[in-house]
Amino acid sequence: MKFRAFTTILVGGLLLTACASGNSAGSAAGSAAGSAAGSAAGSAPSTAPSAPAATTVRLLTHDSFAVSQDLIDDFTKRTGITIEVVTGGDAGTMVAGAVLAAGAPTADVLYGVDNTLLARATSAGVFTPYTSPELDSVTPPLRADTAGGLVTPIDYGDVCVNIDDVSLADKGIAAPTSLDDLTKPAYKDMLVVEDPATSSPGLAFLLATIARYGDAWPDYWTRLRDNGVLVSGSWTDAYEGQFSGGGTGDRPLVVSYATSPPAEIVYAEDPKPTKPSTSVLTDGCYRQVEYAGVLAGTSNEAAAQQVVDWLLSEPVQADVPLSMFVFPAREGTALPQVFTDFAATVDNPLQLPPQDVADNLSDWLAQWGSVMGR
Amino acid sequence: MITPRWLPWVWLLPAGFLAAFLVYPLVNLTTTIAGGSGAAALGRLMSTGLWQVTALAALQATISTVLALVVGLPIANVVTRYRFRGRAVAQALVTVPFVLPTVVVALAFRTLLGSALPLGFALVVIAHAYVNLAVVVRIVGAQWSQLDPDLENVARTLGATRWRAFADITLPSLRPAVASSAAVVFVFSFTSLGIVLILGDALTRTLESQILRQTAVLLDFPGAAASALVQLLLVTGVLLLGAAAGRRNPARRMRPPARRPVSRDPWARLGVYGTVTIAYAIVLAPVLALVAASLRSSSGWTLAWWSSIGSVDAGTTRLGSPVAALGTSLGFALVTATVAGIVGGLAAVAVLAPGRVRLVSVLAMVPLGVSAATMGLGLLLAFGRPPTDLRGTNLLVPIAHALVAVPLVVAVVMPALRSADGRLALLASTLGARPTRAFLTAYGPVLRVVVVASAALAGAVSLGEFGAASFLTRAGAPTVPVQIVRLLGRPGEQSVGVAAALSVILVALTLALVLLVDRMGQSRARVPA
Repeated sequence: MKFRAFTTILVGGLLLTACASGNSAGSAAGSAAGSAAGSAAGSAPSTAPSAPAATTVRLLTHDSFAVSQDLIDDFTKRTGITIEVVTGGDAGTMVAGAVLAAGAPTADVLYGVDNTLLARATSAGVFTPYTSPELDSVTPPLRADTAGGLVTPIDYGDVCVNIDDVSLADKGIAAPTSLDDLTKPAYKDMLVVEDPATSSPGLAFLLATIARYGDAWPDYWTRLRDNGVLVSGSWTDAYEGQFSGGGTGDRPLVVSYATSPPAEIVYAEDPKPTKPSTSVLTDGCYRQVEYAGVLAGTSNEAAAQQVVDWLLSEPVQADVPLSMFVFPAREGTALPQVFTDFAATVDNPLQLPPQDVADNLSDWLAQWGSVMGR
Repeated sequence: MITPRWLPWVWLLPAGFLAAFLVYPLVNLTTTIAGGSGAAALGRLMSTGLWQVTALAALQATISTVLALVVGLPIANVVTRYRFRGRAVAQALVTVPFVLPTVVVALAFRTLLGSALPLGFALVVIAHAYVNLAVVVRIVGAQWSQLDPDLENVARTLGATRWRAFADITLPSLRPAVASSAAVVFVFSFTSLGIVLILGDALTRTLESQILRQTAVLLDFPGAAASALVQLLLVTGVLLLGAAAGRRNPARRMRPPARRPVSRDPWARLGVYGTVTIAYAIVLAPVLALVAASLRSSSGWTLAWWSSIGSVDAGTTRLGSPVAALGTSLGFALVTATVAGIVGGLAAVAVLAPGRVRLVSVLAMVPLGVSAATMGLGLLLAFGRPPTDLRGTNLLVPIAHALVAVPLVVAVVMPALRSADGRLALLASTLGARPTRAFLTAYGPVLRVVVVASAALAGAVSLGEFGAASFLTRAGAPTVPVQIVRLLGRPGEQSVGVAAALSVILVALTLALVLLVDRMGQSRARVPA
């Protein structure tokens, strides 16, 4: 009977799934040595004002991606390339999908893999090498941050503890100034963090503590735990449910972003307040960098490279702060005033090498779980 | 048994759908991550962590199910068997919690109960029971409405007490539906993600949260596959049990029932109206909290959030217009309801066919056990790139929604078909009807009511679904839940206010859809069989 065949395939397939192990997705990266290195991109035909032969580039990204529609339309008018933006869930799920499809991608360009997951993506052969001519314009510390020419840094942001200044002032307590302060009795039961296993800022904060305290990081978390830190499953619940500065909660300290205070202004009721009621603890921030790359196996390589260039172009970079509340990678990009006024500038952000993160993440999460009882 | 000639073949369409959109993507996904040694994977299956999570999730799901039944059965009784003003609205309202994005429900719960109950087991169980009320009321209600009240009346005339008549006559007849709905509620609670993430603690993890972490954070695909396999096997087992528990069924009905007016006995009135009031209170409390949130800012009452729905994020790829999102959501819901109604309806009808083909109805329940991340990734890899690229067509999301909804349709239709009276077909056939006509005489009226009712549930699932939609949508065409969750994912009063306003719209939309479809079902059902 045919039905039996279905069941057999289904059950057999799932057993296979269970029996699979680490060797995911091969490594198809090497194949793309002969890429056109972007030369086709720059030379738009000057004779024809309207676009050359129409192509569509599929841009795979996470669900927080945003850019002004005008910029996309303008790009299409200039190059004849239509950009179809497709989302793949949150950043982690999107990268997981790209890793599984390495070599036979579901899109042509990927934007939004960050330094936490970068090594997993590159070692799975997700990207084909491309060095954008625009890379020279990237701010020096980020310029070399390309995983060996596979990806291009587009923007960055810092995950920092945010402070509800009003609430602390009401309590007559001074704002904390360092990660160490958070374990002091003055801030007992005040901090809410996100679970690193389910939340991107939560993971960044864990990595910040590992970068800061090295092997002694579990002790720091033990002290945080004893000081009444609350672990929440998601940023939304932590910030809008538990944090007194962002919503209905009663905790004045939360792990969020260095750009959350300006976002509080931009997304406030009219007339906008003149200054936010929250501020940022600039010690112990973790820097997240977001990259774009051409997906290995694309049939549209030249056009895909043009999209990477476009992401680094001046107008898109100038759009990035208010669209996604991150900082542009391009040096000298003018920031909107709400950013220059209220976004925290972090002088010494913490970072870990992507390969370290890839190698140890599983152990770190397990260890964190046993310290925090989760 | 009268068997129309087409009956042995009805399984073809659901089987084809499931083969294309469930089996093929899963096999494809499997072959992508396959390779390497089986020993390591076996080790993962044996790991104590995995089984600890499984045991805790099973306990949590059991308690959630019992609570949902205890609250849901009286509501099902009242809204499906009595005639009173506001009945239709009460019945539709129960569906609302089911369609709200889980993050919205969880936040509303946190606001309402957060100060009274700490995060953890109790809060999670209450939220699960709340969300799944609709499953109990819809599935059990669909069957209850088909029971002949005369049977109970006859028992009472013969001297049985009200309780005795209920226990001996009604309850056994409801057993297939109760078992079916219990299995579904268990499965939803067992595989829950959003509520567990927000309201849970260390003791309330599910395999689904484990799979998410293994997939999206660790990129540990073999580990995720082990968890996914355990989840799939367990869920399939529970659904099989649910189906088996409902197989034998003594009650038969010979004519379509009518809803009765509430009797004049004050105790009966109190029972009916009391139940309705409690149902309203349970369902409305979080909804009212949302309405309030959409009208409040730090400076007091405001209409700012409602009036800025149209302009938030205008001009970016993040949002089309809210009107477009509503259109997108409604379109997806209609396609989902149609596809799931047809596929699930036929899969359930296959139960009536002789031989093994009825097993297709079991296969149709399997999507409930496939983790959302697994299904999303599977569909993406199978249909997100050449040669079978459906991503540009707007079909992927409704297909994913239909996969989630088909089991619900089967769960509603199958028990009702089982309790329909097959002897009517025999009777009709003796009177000279052809097999198809005879078949429709026996099962047609039931089918019309339950397929329509379950299609409404399927549409509601689609309206509220977030996971697959966030995976598979194209930017510029987000659904309403995707918009809500995105708004809640960034700071600012406006984000929360507009998200609340959109949630209220989603509630209204659901109510409208369910009321409309219920009405269609009712008017058709009145046509004499």
